[in-house]
Amino acid sequence: MMVPPLQGFDRFVGGDPGRCPGLVWGRAFGPPSVAVVKVFDTPASLGRVFVLASLCVSIFAAAHGAPLPPDHAERMTKGLEIFRTDVAPLLKEHCVRCHGGEKTKGDLDLVTRDGFLKGGADGVAVVPFSAAESKVMKMLRHEEEPYMPEKKPRLPDAAIAKFTAWIDAGAPYSEPLIEGRKPARDRSVVTAEDRKWWAFLPLAKVAVPQREADTPVRSADATADKSVRLTSSSHPIDAFLAVKAAEKKLTLAAPADAATLVRRAYLTLHGIPPTPEQVGVFEAESIRDPQSAMRNLVDTLLASPRYGERWARHWLDVARFAESSGFEHDYDREGAFHFRDFVIRALNDDMPYDEFVRWQLAGDEFAPGNPLALMATGFLGAGVFPTQITANEVERTRYDAMDDMLSTTSAAFLGLTVGCARCHDHKYDPIPTQDYYRMLSTFTTTTRSVIDLDVNPEQNAPKLREWTAKREPLAAELARHEKELRGKFDGWLASGAEMPKSATWSVLTFSETKSQAGATFTRLDDGSYLAGGTNGGQDTYTFTAGTPLRRITGLRLDALAHPSMHKGGPGRADNGNFALSKIRVFAKATGGGAETEVKLAKAVADFEQNKASLRIASSLDDNAKTGWAIDPQFGKDHSAVFTFAAPVDFEGGASLRVVLEFAVNKQHSIGRPRLSVIADTEPRLDAESLPGPVAAVFDALRKRNVLDDKQSGTLFDWWKRRDAGWLALDAKLAKHDAAKPANTVKVLVCAEGYKPLTMHSQGANFFANTHILKRGNTELKDGVAAQRFLQVLMPSEDAAKQWAWAPPQGAQFSGRRRSLANWITDTERGAGALAARVIVNRVWQHHFGRGLVATPNDFGRTGAPPSNPELLDWLAGELIRGGWKLKPLHKLIMTSSAWQQNSVRDAAKETADPVNDTFTRRVPQRLEGEAIRDSMLSVSGLLEATMFGPGTKDERSKRRSIYFTVKRSQLIGSMVAFDQPEPLASQGARPTTTVTPQALMLMNGPQVREWAEAFAARMEKETGDDARIAQAYRIAIGRPARSEEAKAARAFIAAQTASYTAEGKPNAAHIALADFAQVMFGLNDFAYLE
Amino acid sequence: MLALAALLDRTGLAASLNPLAPKAPPLRARAKSIIWIFANGGPSQVDTWDYKPELAKRDGQPLEGFDAKTGFFPASVGPLMKSPFEWQQHGKSCTWTSGLFPHLSQHVDKMAFIHSCWTKSNNHSPALFMMNTGETRMGYPCVGSWVTYGLGSVSDSLPSFVVMSDPKNRGLPKGTALNWGAGFLPSVYQGTWLRPQGEPIDNLKRLSNLTDERQRAQLDLLAKLNHASLGGSAVESELAARIESFELAYRMQTAAPEAFDVSKEPEHMKKLYGLDQPHCAHIASQCMMARRMVERGVRFVQIYSGGMENQQSWDCHADLVGNHTGFASETDQPVAALLADLEQRGLLNDTLVIWGGEFGRLPVSQKGGKPGRDHNPHAFTVWLAGGGVKGGFHYGETDEIGHKAVVDRVGVHDLHATLLYALGLDHEKLTFKFQGLDQRLTGVEKSRVVQEIFA
Repeated sequence: MMVPPLQGFDRFVGGDPGRCPGLVWGRAFGPPSVAVVKVFDTPASLGRVFVLASLCVSIFAAAHGAPLPPDHAERMTKGLEIFRTDVAPLLKEHCVRCHGGEKTKGDLDLVTRDGFLKGGADGVAVVPFSAAESKVMKMLRHEEEPYMPEKKPRLPDAAIAKFTAWIDAGAPYSEPLIEGRKPARDRSVVTAEDRKWWAFLPLAKVAVPQREADTPVRSADATADKSVRLTSSSHPIDAFLAVKAAEKKLTLAAPADAATLVRRAYLTLHGIPPTPEQVGVFEAESIRDPQSAMRNLVDTLLASPRYGERWARHWLDVARFAESSGFEHDYDREGAFHFRDFVIRALNDDMPYDEFVRWQLAGDEFAPGNPLALMATGFLGAGVFPTQITANEVERTRYDAMDDMLSTTSAAFLGLTVGCARCHDHKYDPIPTQDYYRMLSTFTTTTRSVIDLDVNPEQNAPKLREWTAKREPLAAELARHEKELRGKFDGWLASGAEMPKSATWSVLTFSETKSQAGATFTRLDDGSYLAGGTNGGQDTYTFTAGTPLRRITGLRLDALAHPSMHKGGPGRADNGNFALSKIRVFAKATGGGAETEVKLAKAVADFEQNKASLRIASSLDDNAKTGWAIDPQFGKDHSAVFTFAAPVDFEGGASLRVVLEFAVNKQHSIGRPRLSVIADTEPRLDAESLPGPVAAVFDALRKRNVLDDKQSGTLFDWWKRRDAGWLALDAKLAKHDAAKPANTVKVLVCAEGYKPLTMHSQGANFFANTHILKRGNTELKDGVAAQRFLQVLMPSEDAAKQWAWAPPQGAQFSGRRRSLANWITDTERGAGALAARVIVNRVWQHHFGRGLVATPNDFGRTGAPPSNPELLDWLAGELIRGGWKLKPLHKLIMTSSAWQQNSVRDAAKETADPVNDTFTRRVPQRLEGEAIRDSMLSVSGLLEATMFGPGTKDERSKRRSIYFTVKRSQLIGSMVAFDQPEPLASQGARPTTTVTPQALMLMNGPQVREWAEAFAARMEKETGDDARIAQAYRIAIGRPARSEEAKAARAFIAAQTASYTAEGKPNAAHIALADFAQVMFGLNDFAYLE
Repeated sequence: MLALAALLDRTGLAASLNPLAPKAPPLRARAKSIIWIFANGGPSQVDTWDYKPELAKRDGQPLEGFDAKTGFFPASVGPLMKSPFEWQQHGKSCTWTSGLFPHLSQHVDKMAFIHSCWTKSNNHSPALFMMNTGETRMGYPCVGSWVTYGLGSVSDSLPSFVVMSDPKNRGLPKGTALNWGAGFLPSVYQGTWLRPQGEPIDNLKRLSNLTDERQRAQLDLLAKLNHASLGGSAVESELAARIESFELAYRMQTAAPEAFDVSKEPEHMKKLYGLDQPHCAHIASQCMMARRMVERGVRFVQIYSGGMENQQSWDCHADLVGNHTGFASETDQPVAALLADLEQRGLLNDTLVIWGGEFGRLPVSQKGGKPGRDHNPHAFTVWLAGGGVKGGFHYGETDEIGHKAVVDRVGVHDLHATLLYALGLDHEKLTFKFQGLDQRLTGVEKSRVVQEIFA
C-alpha cells in the first residue's frame, strides 16, 4: 500500500500551478496532473475518485504510444522533485545555453520536455524511465562522443547520479528552463498532427481478437475446471481485455457466485437490491445454465421502469440538472422537472442515443410537435443563472449563460473542455478561441422559456376535432350576422353617421404590462387586455402606455366581462369578483424627464359592492384591506372614472404608468382591464370610449373626408359592438373558444422564439449577435462570430455548412442548434465517433466503477488515454451498428466474463496493475447516496413506486431519490452527505467520501429510524430471533448471516430487549429489533456493491 | 487485516485514508485559525474605517464625471455626502475611526487595515461569491474549503470549517449555501453551516429511545459485523475508514454541543461579550462560540453580520445612519470582546480575525427621505487582527473622497493569497485538478501576498 508524502503541496501540481496551466508555457513540459495520481492512488475511498476524475497519463505516452511502467505516476512525482532541486539547476548551468538558449546545437532543445524528448539531429537523446537506454547518459558519463558538456570536464558523479535518477523517473519538467518561453506552436491553427489525437480519429475498424484456443483468459488456479479459454466463441469484451491483460501477464478473475451476481445486477441496473425470492430464482436458473440465467435476468431488469430511474440519475450529474436558478434568489424553475422525466422515459424506451443527443440540443427544431422533444431541451437551460443583473453586467451575464450551454454540451457529449478556450486558445487541445465563439454563436438566440405544452396531443386530438367541428357553425352564424350588419352600417354612414359626443375616452395601448404574481396579458380588439396564466395571491398590475393627448383630465378603468372567467368575470376570483385596493397613476413627458405621481381627486363607478369598505373611493385610500368590488353583478362590464386633481399636460404627449393593486383578498384581480384617458373636459362615465384608431376615423369624418376601406373597417369593428345581436353571437363564440380542450402543463424549455424568462435584469435577455471576444472580455469585441464547429472534428475549416439546417419559412427557430446536433451525431464526417466513444465510456464506467477512459468528461490531452483503445472503439462501433441503443450495450457488458468476475482481493494484481486498467478484477464500489437511500426504503418495504411529476424537498418522501426536487440552495442533506455533486457544472464521476454526516444520518436520522422500524416489522413476520436475523440478512444484503454474525446479532437483540423491558417499554422486543435493523443499514455490505 | 487501532492513529495510516487528516502547512504559518466577521451587505468604508476629511469639505457638491452605473440605482445618484458620524483618533497608532465602534476603537492597535480593497462586481451575490470563492460566478470552492483541503482538520470531533449566519430571521447572505460550498472540491471540504435556530447540525442528537449505552451497543455490534467481513476485501482500508467514521460521529455528538454551548461561560465573560444585552446578544454568542471552537481546533469560522434583504443587512441604500448604527452596535462589543478574549488566552497570535464585507459604498448619496449610499466595487476597507499582523498598521489608500482605491490596490485574489499565506499555504501551489485544469483559489492571473501587513 502506498502512503503518500504528507509534507508540502508540490504533490498537487505538475506544471504551472495556475488554473490554466498552459497560459504561460503551453504544454511543453511534463504531464500536469501526474502527481495527483501519485497522491490519491491509494485504496482510500476519496482517492479512488480523484483517480477517476483526474488520472492523467503523460503526454509522452499518448504521443509516442510507448508503454508506461505501471508506477509511472509515482516515479514522475519523484522526478519532479529531483528536477526542481537538482536537475534544473544543472541543466541551466551546463546545458541550456547551447541547447535552446543562445543557440540550439544539434537541433536539440532542452528548454522544454517536449524538446528534450523529441531529440535532435542525432536522434533520440533520452528514453524516459530508462537512463540505461538513454544516449544522453552515455554522453554525460563520457562513454560516447560527443562528450557532454562539450569541452568541459565531466560532471561530478553525484550530478550524473541525479540525471540517472531523474530519467528513470520519467524525466519530468515542472517548467521550461527559460522563463516566458513561448509555446512551441500557435494553437489557433489546427494542424494535421492535431487531428491525429486518438479521440479525434475515426473509429478504428477493429476485429475481435482471435487467439489460439489454449490461451487462458482466466486464472487457471483455483477455478481450473471453470476457466474459459479464448476461442472464437469467447465473449468479445473478454477477448479484447485478454490481449491487454496478457501484456501484463494477468488473467481475468473467476466468476462471482450467483448470489453476488444477482445483487450486482439489481444494484447496477435498478439501484435497489433484489428480494430474497429474486435471488432464489436466479440461483436456481444459474445452476441449470449460468449464461442463459444472466441473459434472462438482464432482459428482465432492463424492461423494468426502475432501470430508467437509476440510470437517469447518472445523466443528471452530467447535465448539471437542477430546478432553480441559483445565485441570490435561487428562484424555482417552474416545469424544470420535465427534463428529468424526459431522461427517465428516454432510457426506459431505449431511445437511440443519437436522438437523445439531438433532442436535448434541439428537440424543438427536430420534432416541434413532440412534447417530449421540447422537454428534452431543458438540458441547455439547466445551468445556474443570476436573477438580479445590473446594467453593467447584462452582456457578460449573457456570455456566461451561453458559456454554460456550450461547456456543458461539449463536456457531456464530446468529453471536451471547450470552455477553456473562452479567454485564450485551449492550451492543450486544438480548440482555438475562434472555434469557441463560433460554436458559441449556436446559442445566440437560445433562451429559457416556460411554455404551455400539450403533453398528450394524441389523446387530445379527438376532443380537439369535436371542438373545431362545433366552432364552425358558431363562427358562420356570426359572419352571417356581420354581413347583414354591414348593410345597416353603410346606411348609418350614408345617413351622416351619428357621431359620439365630442369628448370621448381614448383607449390606451400598453407598451408594457407587468404582473407581480405572474399573470400574462393578451390584447383584445377592443383595447382590453385579457389576463391569463398564474392567478397568484395578491397581484399588482403595472401598465405603461403613451398618449399624444395633452391636458388629460382623468382616467377610466373598465373591468370587462369575459366567458373564460368564473361566472363570466370581470374578476378572476372564484365567484367572478375582483377587489381593487389601490390605483396609482404616474406621468412623465413622452420625451423623457422625471416621472411624477398624478394626484387623483375623486372617483366614481357604475356599481359598488357596498358603500363602506368596498366602494370605489376605497381604491384611493392607503388601506390595503378596502377597495372597489362588484359582487353580485358578475358577468357584466363595469367601469370607474378617476378625475385628476390637475390635468397632465406635456407638450408632445405623456407616458403614463398605472399601478393597480389587488390586496384586499387573494386572487381578486381584474380579468380583463381596459384603460382610457380623456382630455380637455370633465371626465364622465357616460362618455364613449373610443379606441385611438376609431377616434381618428371620426376626426376624418368630421373633416368630411371620404373614408378608405381600412378606415371604414375600423369604424365598422367599433360600430358592430353596439348591436345586441352581434354581441350575443360574439359572446357565444368567445365562450366556446374559452373551452378549447387542452391538456397543457408548464414546461421549462431552452429554445428559440418563445417569450424568454426575464428576471430582474437591467437589460436585454439576449443580443442579436455573438461576437468573438478577446480574453473573454465583452469590451474587446473582435467581429461577429458566424456559426462553426470544432475544426479538428471537421474535414475542413469551412465544412460547417454540410450540417447546416435551414428551418422552414416563418419558423420561430434559427436552425443553429439542429445544425450543431447534426454535426455531433455525424459518425462519418462530424463528431459522431467521439460522441459514441464518450457515451460508451460512461456506460462502462457505471458498470465497472471506472471508465476505459478514466476521465469521462475529458478526452483531450489533459485527460487519461484509453486503457484499451481497441475495445473502446469496438464498443462505440457496436453502439452505432446497433442503432445507438443502450440496452443492448448493457447486455453485452453484463454477459461478459469481465463483468461477472469476483471481487476477491488479489495482491499480485494490485501490484501489477494498481488502478485496474486491465479490468482483470472487480473493485467494490460504494453505492451512490440515491441507491443507499432507495435500498433502505426498499428493504423497509416502504418504497413508493410513483413515477414522474413534480418532485419534493421533503426528506420524509418515500419515493425514489431521483424525485427529490433539486433546489440549488436547499440541496437534500442526505444526498449531499453521500456525495451527490452540486449541480453547477457537468460532472462525469462522483467522488466517494467517507465523512461523519453519513454516519450521523445512519445513527440519528429520523427517516432512517422510521425505515428501520418498518424493516423490523418485516422481520417480525418470522418467528424467533434466529429466523428474523437470517431473514434480515437475506433481505438487506442478499445472503444468509454467517454463524458468528448471527451470534452477535442474537446477543445484541437480547440485551437491547432486556434494556427496554427494564425501562418498562411495552414493545421492548420490537424496539430492540428496530435497533438491529438500523445496524443492518450501517453495514459496509449494505452500502457497497459486493 | 488492518487493526482498527492503526486507524485511530491520525498521523499514521489514517492520514492517507482520511481526506481531513491534518497536514503540516508547507510554508511558515503565522496563524492556525481564521475567524472572519463578514459584514454582509457591504459596509461603507467612508463611514467606518477610512477617514476622509475632504469628503466632508465637498459635502453636497456633485461628483464630476461620476459613472451613474457604478451602483445599483443609476437614477438615484445624489451629491457627495460627508460621513454623518463623529470621527476620532484612537490608540498609539492614532487611527481615525468613526463613532460607530466605541468598543472596537479601543483595539485599533491590534488591527492591520487594508484601505485599498476593490472587487469585480457591484451586485451582492456575485460580489459575495467573489469574496468567498474568488469568482463572481457561482460554483467555485470558498476560501474555507480550500483551507480545509490544504490543511485538513485538527479536531477529530468537530467540523473544521464552520459558518454562522444571522439568527434574527433576517435571512441568509445572498447566494446562501454557495458562499460556503466546496464547489468542485469534494463535498467533504464544504463549510458546516450551524442552523441559527433549532439543532445546529443535522442528526447530531440521538433519537429518544437510544440512550448513550444503547447506541454504544449498536455501534459495537456494527463494528463487529463490519469487521467480520473486512478481511480479504480489495477495499479493506476504505471499509475500515468507514467503520472509523461511525466512531468519529459518535464523538462529535458530545463534542459539538459542548463546543457550541456558551451557557457555562463565566458571568464576567458573558458581560464582556455583551451576552446580557439584547441588541448584541446574538453576535456575542456567536463570537464566544467561535472562540470555543478555535480553542478546540476548528480551523475556519465565518460569522455573518446581517441577513439578506436591503435593510436587513449592512446594505444601506436608505438611512445610512440608522442602518449602520444598528449593525455596528450589534457587532461592536462582541467582536471587541473576542479580540480581548483571544489575546488574554494567548490565542490571538495563532488566530487571524478578519472584518469586512463584499464591497464598499459610494461617497455620493443615494437620494431618498433618509439618504443612503449605493454599492461601490472600487473601494472598501478590510481589517485583520492577530495571526502575526502588524497592529495599528494602515495599508493602501483610496482617493481623497474614498471613491476608488488608488494606492497599493488589493484585489480580492490578493486578499485571498494573503489569507492563505498567513496559514502557511502558497496560493500558487494549492491547486486542484478539475475540468482538465489545475484550479486554484486565486485564479489565472498573478496575485500578490500583502506581506507588508505582517510583522
